[in-house]
Amino acid sequence: MGNFFSSMFDRLWGVNKEMRILILGLDGAGKTTILYRLQMGEVVTTKPTIGFNVETLVYKNLKLNVWDLGGQTSIRPYWRCYYSNTAAVIFVVDSTDKDRMATASKELHMMLQEEELQDAALLVFANKQDQAGALSASEVSKQLNLVELKDRSWSIVASSAIKGDGISEGLDWLIDVVREEQL
Amino acid sequence: MEKKLKKFLSNATRVAPKISKKGELFELRNGLVSPYPQTRKDAIKKTIQQMTLGKDVSSLFPDILKNIAASDVEQKKLVYLYVMNYAETHPELCILAVNTFVSDAQDSNPLIRCMAIRTMSMIRVDKILEYVEIPLRKTLQDDNPYVRKTAVICVAKLFALNKELCQELGVLEDLVSALEDSNPMVVANAIAALSDIYETDPSVVELPKLIQQHVSQFLLALNECTEWARIVILGALAEYTAKDSLEAEQIIDRVTPHLQHVNAAVVLATIKVVIANLPKIQVNVDSPIFSKISSGLVSLMSTPPEMQYVALRNIRIILERYPLLLSRELRIFYVKFNDPLYVKLEKIDILVRLVDPCNLKQCTLLLAELKEYAMEYESEFVSKAILALSQLGVKFSEVKFVRKVLDIIVDLCQTRDSFQDDCMVAMCNLIRHTGSEQDDMITQVCSLAQVWGSTESVFQTDYAKCNYIWLLGQYSEKFSNIDKSLQVFIDSFTHEESLTQMSLLITVVKLHSVLPGAMLQNLLNLATTSTDELDVRDMAIMYWRCLSLEGENETLINELCNAQLPQVATTLDAFSPELLETLLRELSLLSSIYYKPVSTMTRYRMRTTNAVKGKQLNELQYMARDEIMKNMNEDNLLDFDGESNFAANATQPSSSVLSDINDLFDFAPVVPQHLQPQSQQPVDESIQGLSLHEKHGSAKTSQNSNTQDLLDLF
Repeated sequence: MGNFFSSMFDRLWGVNKEMRILILGLDGAGKTTILYRLQMGEVVTTKPTIGFNVETLVYKNLKLNVWDLGGQTSIRPYWRCYYSNTAAVIFVVDSTDKDRMATASKELHMMLQEEELQDAALLVFANKQDQAGALSASEVSKQLNLVELKDRSWSIVASSAIKGDGISEGLDWLIDVVREEQL
Repeated sequence: MEKKLKKFLSNATRVAPKISKKGELFELRNGLVSPYPQTRKDAIKKTIQQMTLGKDVSSLFPDILKNIAASDVEQKKLVYLYVMNYAETHPELCILAVNTFVSDAQDSNPLIRCMAIRTMSMIRVDKILEYVEIPLRKTLQDDNPYVRKTAVICVAKLFALNKELCQELGVLEDLVSALEDSNPMVVANAIAALSDIYETDPSVVELPKLIQQHVSQFLLALNECTEWARIVILGALAEYTAKDSLEAEQIIDRVTPHLQHVNAAVVLATIKVVIANLPKIQVNVDSPIFSKISSGLVSLMSTPPEMQYVALRNIRIILERYPLLLSRELRIFYVKFNDPLYVKLEKIDILVRLVDPCNLKQCTLLLAELKEYAMEYESEFVSKAILALSQLGVKFSEVKFVRKVLDIIVDLCQTRDSFQDDCMVAMCNLIRHTGSEQDDMITQVCSLAQVWGSTESVFQTDYAKCNYIWLLGQYSEKFSNIDKSLQVFIDSFTHEESLTQMSLLITVVKLHSVLPGAMLQNLLNLATTSTDELDVRDMAIMYWRCLSLEGENETLINELCNAQLPQVATTLDAFSPELLETLLRELSLLSSIYYKPVSTMTRYRMRTTNAVKGKQLNELQYMARDEIMKNMNEDNLLDFDGESNFAANATQPSSSVLSDINDLFDFAPVVPQHLQPQSQQPVDESIQGLSLHEKHGSAKTSQNSNTQDLLDLF
């Protein structure tokens, strides 16, 4: 009974409500590194994610439930299991991997067509800017055909998960948009 | 703005959710993806609740899986429970849990590490097994013994699921090194895992060698681990063969304290170890070790009846090797009024076995006790008690005592009216034991049998009938109207079972000079033509042949029928030495209850690989062939003997008889020739050969059996 009341109050005031944010992208784009950069503020050595990682973090008084899903071809079909109740999607692109830009673009647009993601905001990280030969944010945006996106709040930010550049800027934007939508 | 409006509208419709329409699963799913942690946890609990009730909630698998990565141990446990249960229904989705499994296996909480590796090795999904390597290796080297002991078992599970992978990963070596772990639980689990693997595939690990090498670790671990681990370690110790008497003594000294354990399985396992080592050391009958074993066994008698039964079955095996082990504890095994029937029956059996046949006082006590039992009401129990009386009489073997037993049985017959079968068998056993010198006893039994014989169908069982007819034949002078009693059985000959048929045949042939001639003729006809029993028919043909011989057939018949039967030394059944050896080694296993070695049980046979099986089959075939050949040779010798006898007897070799005899017997030398080219299926073939030839022989004789020869006889 106590649980019942406490959850009722939680709902009324929206206290314990968590915001679901997905981090998606092709394998090796740096999703897990970004997740732990967000959570712990440091770089961890990662292995390919078979399945998912999930972390809860508090950012600007918002409780975020951040899901980092594995990007292997074999796991991509299961992304859809996680779409429901999602407030925002962070799509991570490896800016140095020019060959697979087309694949990334295809996956991105396919994902955005899902019914359950119609209301979700989109943040694209053009990652790995620290490496030589990385495409700039605008180039990546072109390659991904982001301009075609209608009826959705989106943004692209150049980032480097290793150095920590651009991550918090991107997230700030995302939080602002999400907070606006929630109200 | 437009978007906000849309959202507001959709929210407005959500105010009154339609619950019933989509049902419980829909509600649960909503709860599982709720943005509120507490709601999710509640939904998980409800889902598990449904699962334990047996409802199919497998469709929630992906949603439950999302909750696997929680910091809350309780929630994690529930999700793991669900995953274990339904992983097989969604093998492809299981891969989503891999990352969590792997990271959980490195969690700071040993409980979670343990849970992760346990679940991972348990799920029967190949894709998961591919990723098991790193976590398994890590947990095998974990600091926490609790995690290590679980990981060790996981190796065995992995082996059962995927043998090749397990060998490829090389974790079996880790398993072997776990035998030297500092923690006794890990050692115990390692040996359990190893014996499990060894049972599946003996070629992978050299368990016997490992056991030889690690005995000191086992002995050290023995005192510090839980009771179940003790059983496993004791089981391994029982496999160990001590190098010398000193070591054997040492092992016995180390394990004997466990004879006083509360857990019956520990006690039995300990006894197994002690018994395995006893032959190595020099002990006399009253050495303290025996009294320790016996007190251990006695303590088992205060357990619940089911366990008592197991204990009794095991005691029966041990008594066969050490008959005097428990002779001082007779009273413990007395039947209590509230014992279940199966325990009562076992107890009677044990009582007769453990009594000391040199101790008159004890035997008399037991006799009085058994007499009481024979007055009970449960028929199986009473039958067993009557049988036990005769067994006791035979065991103590002193004439006075036997007479006492006989008096009790005769008394019983007069007071009770439904146990004639058992009494008859018991009395015949006693008479056969004392021999024909004790005329008064024989008269006593015969007069009783005479009374019974006058009422029809007193005896129900084959065995009792057989005994009765034997009695008639053996002491015919003590019966009147013997032909009438026999005629009853001849009339129902075709309905009787083989023992009765044979016994009848012998008796009638034996008494043929006293009985009317038509009776013998009639019986021989019946026995050769209207029975399916090969033995009976063979015997009838043999007798017929002998009777139709001219000349000294009387002496031949006398020799055949009136031969002195060996004295009955014991009526207790015993195991063959090999079986006893195996059973002693497999004490406290299931085989000790069925009295069948593990190797004969079906599950075990299914597991052994084809190659092994093929080899065994071949070996068996050769063994069978050798045995048949040997038997054939023996038969031949006998036959030749017989033939020369006959030849000598037949003063005028009136060709027909001799050639018939030759016909009849010459199948024996023929068969081995049949046998040699067809060594592949020796048993079937030769049996076929035998029966064919027999049929041939019998056909001839029945043709030949025109009364002439026989009439000559009379």
